[in-house]
Amino acid sequence: MRRSQIFASASGRFTGSSLLRQVALLALLIVTVGFWIFFSIAASGFTSDFNLFSLLRFAAIQITIGFAQMVALSIGDMNLAVGAIGGATGMIAGWVMQVLGLPPEVAVLFALVVGLVLGFGNALLITWTRINSFIVTLATASLITGAMLILTHAHPFSLLPDSFTSFSEVEVAGLPVSPLVLVMLVVAAALFFLYRNLSLGREMLAVGANRQAARMAGLSVDRVVMSTHGLSGALAATAGLMAISADHTASPSLGSDWLLASFVSPAIGGTLLSGGLVSVPGTVIGGVLLATISNGLLLVNIDNFWITVFLGVVLLLAVGLDRLTRAAGGAAS
Amino acid sequence: MQRLRNVAPGLAVGLLVIDVVGMLVLSVVTPSFLSTYNLFVTGRDLSILLLVALAQMVVLSLGQMNLSIGSIGGLVAIIESGLMVRYGVPVPIALAAGLLLGIVCGVANGLLVYWTKINSFVLTLATSYIFAGINLGITHATPFYHIPGEISAFGQARLGAFPVMAAVTIVLTVGLALFLYQVVLGRQLLAAGGNQLAARLSGLPVRRAVVTAHAISGFLGAVAGTMLMAQLGQGQPTIGATWILPSFAGPIIGGAALSGGSAPIIGTVLAMVLISLIDDGLVLVNADPFWVQFLIGALILGAVVLGRTHLSDIVAFVRRGRPVSHEELTR
Repeated sequence: MRRSQIFASASGRFTGSSLLRQVALLALLIVTVGFWIFFSIAASGFTSDFNLFSLLRFAAIQITIGFAQMVALSIGDMNLAVGAIGGATGMIAGWVMQVLGLPPEVAVLFALVVGLVLGFGNALLITWTRINSFIVTLATASLITGAMLILTHAHPFSLLPDSFTSFSEVEVAGLPVSPLVLVMLVVAAALFFLYRNLSLGREMLAVGANRQAARMAGLSVDRVVMSTHGLSGALAATAGLMAISADHTASPSLGSDWLLASFVSPAIGGTLLSGGLVSVPGTVIGGVLLATISNGLLLVNIDNFWITVFLGVVLLLAVGLDRLTRAAGGAAS
Repeated sequence: MQRLRNVAPGLAVGLLVIDVVGMLVLSVVTPSFLSTYNLFVTGRDLSILLLVALAQMVVLSLGQMNLSIGSIGGLVAIIESGLMVRYGVPVPIALAAGLLLGIVCGVANGLLVYWTKINSFVLTLATSYIFAGINLGITHATPFYHIPGEISAFGQARLGAFPVMAAVTIVLTVGLALFLYQVVLGRQLLAAGGNQLAARLSGLPVRRAVVTAHAISGFLGAVAGTMLMAQLGQGQPTIGATWILPSFAGPIIGGAALSGGSAPIIGTVLAMVLISLIDDGLVLVNADPFWVQFLIGALILGAVVLGRTHLSDIVAFVRRGRPVSHEELTR
């Protein structure tokens, strides 16, 4: 009975300011469509099959990176090791395929398991020591990347089998859509189902909304933290696999620039950084918006470096708007 | 005596012992550790990274973070070298402009954090990309070479094994300690870090404390960027790009809490000495340089876990009757 109360309060948060959140999501969608229309007119080549293909593929990877962070944020934690896990598992997959000569399916499975285990490792350190997830994942990110560089001597694996790299190259049903986009959509659907329908997902939101209350109501917070960080690690590994497939190479610098990317899409999409509230569709649209802006600005010959500035501003605006929305919606802290 | 509690004496003594043992081991294993040149180079690296760590510690003492220290340092070095090389601005004016820019960046961080109430982690993550983007937009990733000779000479200057640059760090470290522990505003800053609501309710100038902490952080980052520019002899756009890890490693190993309220200056100094000993030792024994990153990660975890079993934590645990919750730490 107490447990159902927790769920009720969590879903109350989910639907309480529901109208406002729907409006915010719609606004985000309109802004994204607006950018698409703008760039279709202003940037020649924006609507070419080739450009749309690479834009959507880039968006798919960015969104998956965002999912890895979104999952951690949902319980009010952070995972600064998303990039480290994605890079390390990408390198492991490259090693399995190139050095061991095993088929891509084995490499993918192995990388996902390693990602899961590394995520569990983060969770174990967090639950055992009660140290803030920020410090734990800052340290483990450094450990994981350091170990990866020591083991690989920072040499990339660039002789990946064709069957693996061509997976990101083919067009699905003649549309400018890479299979990587389908992978992302499947992941998105699974996460949507998790947070909407499964008790684990509801428990994660309850822990994120109020960890103390969730614990007192009898939820096993430690178990939720374990599942969450394991999932976050597996998602980071998924993003790493997608990236090495698209890059045709597993590079040791993979993941080193994922920190901003991992926060931007969830933040634009309305995921609360303090936990308890996620938006899977918002993260998807946020990632598409991000990829659209980067791609379009490049096409109209805006310097890549200024795009970095722009992304920083977008993150500020998104989080600022989020605070305003919450203030207007009257949600507590 | 009251204020010594903030310095975490037990931890500091432990770090001091480790540092001394580390130095003894290094001087026995690799005699070149004690060579004048090695001590000079290590001391110079230490004097730069210590400022980076203190820049983070100031903001941590408030219970906030600053992820933009490195990009402030890089932007400042670029502006200073650009002014001197491209526009022939006299050295003192260029340096003053750069350091002022560092303070302005810090004030911007502080005001934004205070006004918007956005989590300082996300806010400074965003501004760090803005500062770094401006840096690269100006330079297109090309360094400004041929900075004036007196600056490069300052970067190489030494008295025996003592790097002249270290004098700047020593003065700033002592100054920061005096500010935090002797000046009213510094005490208010620590109080606001300990409990912001209580500080506000008791009428402390919380906004001034927040802005001051971020301004100091930006200033220290700017000085560190300037010193690295002097050491390299050029305005490198990549200055500061790798500072996030050391900036957190120093204060966290040194005993700072993310929840704020403590400013372990001595612990931070000793932690940074330990990190530069590890760095130098690995170079001297020709180890894989990637071990540095691995060992710093291990060191952070080890220090935090050991710090958790500290007397003060046990006392706090008994008082509260439960461990410090995640919510309290992140707030």
